[in-house]
Amino acid sequence: MDKALNGKPMSETDYQLKVFAPKVMEKVKEHKIKYDPANPIQSDGSIADEVFEAGMELLLDVGAYCTTSGRVISFTEQEIKESLRNAPSKVWFGEGKDRKALVPRKVGDKTPPWCLLGAGGGPCSSDRSFLTLVEGYAEIPETDGITTPAITRVGGMRVRPASPLEVLAAMRNAVLAREACNRSGRQGIPIMNSLSTAESDIALAAALHPKYGMRDSDGYMICCMDPMKVDFARLNKVAVALSLGGPIGMCFGPLLGGYSGGPEGTAVSNVAHHMMGLLVYQSSWLLPFTIHLRYVASSPRDMLWVISTMGQAVSRNTHLLSINLNYTTAGPCTPMALFETSASVTAAVVSGLSIESVGIATNKHEDRTTPVEPRISAEVGHAVAGMKLSDANELAKDLLKTYEAKLASPPLGKSLYECWDQETRKPSGEYRRVIKKFKTDLASMGVDLRPEPYA
Amino acid sequence: MTTEKVLKDLQSAVLRYDSEAAVKAAKSAIAEKVDPLMAIEKGLVPAIEQIGEKFEKMEIYLPELMLAGEAMKSALALLLPMLPKGVAGTKATVVIGTVQGDVHEIGKNIVSSMLMAGGFNVIDLGVDVKTITFVEEAKKNAAKIIGASALMSSTIGSQKDIIDYLVSTGERKKVAVLVGGGPTTKEWAKEIGAEGCGMNAAEAVQLAKKFAKGR
Repeated sequence: MDKALNGKPMSETDYQLKVFAPKVMEKVKEHKIKYDPANPIQSDGSIADEVFEAGMELLLDVGAYCTTSGRVISFTEQEIKESLRNAPSKVWFGEGKDRKALVPRKVGDKTPPWCLLGAGGGPCSSDRSFLTLVEGYAEIPETDGITTPAITRVGGMRVRPASPLEVLAAMRNAVLAREACNRSGRQGIPIMNSLSTAESDIALAAALHPKYGMRDSDGYMICCMDPMKVDFARLNKVAVALSLGGPIGMCFGPLLGGYSGGPEGTAVSNVAHHMMGLLVYQSSWLLPFTIHLRYVASSPRDMLWVISTMGQAVSRNTHLLSINLNYTTAGPCTPMALFETSASVTAAVVSGLSIESVGIATNKHEDRTTPVEPRISAEVGHAVAGMKLSDANELAKDLLKTYEAKLASPPLGKSLYECWDQETRKPSGEYRRVIKKFKTDLASMGVDLRPEPYA
Repeated sequence: MTTEKVLKDLQSAVLRYDSEAAVKAAKSAIAEKVDPLMAIEKGLVPAIEQIGEKFEKMEIYLPELMLAGEAMKSALALLLPMLPKGVAGTKATVVIGTVQGDVHEIGKNIVSSMLMAGGFNVIDLGVDVKTITFVEEAKKNAAKIIGASALMSSTIGSQKDIIDYLVSTGERKKVAVLVGGGPTTKEWAKEIGAEGCGMNAAEAVQLAKKFAKGR
């Protein structure tokens, strides 16, 4: 707080346009970092190391920015290095038989990624669809933690920001998520985007009352504003989560094409955000979710390069616990969505990251997501763990061939209840055929997933 | 200094994202008695349109787009008051902001800069803008369009509030409301009675052009 109150005063526009953006460009140039479209998952460790160094220098040079106080929060090299050294290398989440440790991964690591599965805060119209989805996520064998949807209505009324409706919706988010896990027999599983419905600090604080069921073994996700920004509302959330003893995960999404510039700058910015998360948001785990400005997804070619290069930079040079969230352009019940998520997940997992999957169809349409897409993402994540970068690069190229030309006008597919049976908790016949064909196609690319569990 | 040189300097300032040079070129235009409308239409607008096209192709990125917009704004601040009364100089006025309770500004900034690149007079109200402020600013500036951005599913409700407010104050027919941002869709725009939803910045500009003369 001292740095946020007494740092160098500056306007937000000046910080973004005159300090941050030119400094990113300068670092990219100084470190000779170059995006190579021919190799979406690049194998050159020295590039990743340059990206890491550039990211650390960027944070040192520009610090973070507090929009409430209008001050720059600066750090010394020693503070940055100490935060990296002191960052936890293991965090336990969940309870009982669902208790498990999130551990760091390395490039080509055979350890399966931590699978944080669900909707990544995607909008959901009703208690019914919320329960349907979260029950479905909890039933996925690979699920290590759940990322719930966000509730958009309470009693038929649309939620308004920082209003009693948001407070009530956040409370429902907590209660219903726990209830859905209980129904699925996974009472101890951690809810790690606590709480996606609570955009405001007051809604989060209110919904953390013990009677709503949140635990200190859940994950407390607090989103950073792009680029490298914080405000008092977010710091309030940090204070609340720390008082509960809950592990904080800062999520951050420097847009590719935004203030960080192109793929090279976006990779550098991602590294700097990792370190900033430790220092400003007191994070013990981190959640990068860079998306493409034009396609609002993580699956375009340059995005795969960003995920892979940033992942290698972080995993080669630190023991940080980093979980990459991915978005697709296409919707449920389409092969394209499954190919897209496979590509992003592959880029993350082989580069030493864990995964949060998945925001479907740019995560903007209400109830346009099902438990199938995160399940397939997790199956792919487990299947590619241990794969060589060069093999993953070939796989990524094959996957890109299936969808790259369609990114500008992707199929939106079907909504939840059009392709998911709530009673039997299975995908529709049509969706089962899509999955079967997808698995056959993926096998022809060298990745065998388990046979579908449905008759 | 020739008119040609003044126009070239105006263009060059925007293309180099240089606000100081833009102000200098605008002052030269005034000193040399260059028709201010010509300075805008033949100097600034072609340059900012070029910037918009480059951004669309991702040949340049958000900082360059915004800096070029700032340069254009600096020059316009000097040139617009020189126009004879009744000459607009720009397509129409758009009041834009991120809705109440939402502090996300990137999407709004992109659309704001692209609208400027499309020749609109853009009044950017910033983030966390109260409903009443959108309406009052639109009225004060005779805006034809309100652009309301929201990133969160919990904040898009405020887009509907703007329309409700315009209806209740009898201002609805005077101004078109365009919505955009993460969770907004065309279905949502239809549901709340907005004139349109820009699924990306280019579409937002197209919609603004459609409603430049009002609803």
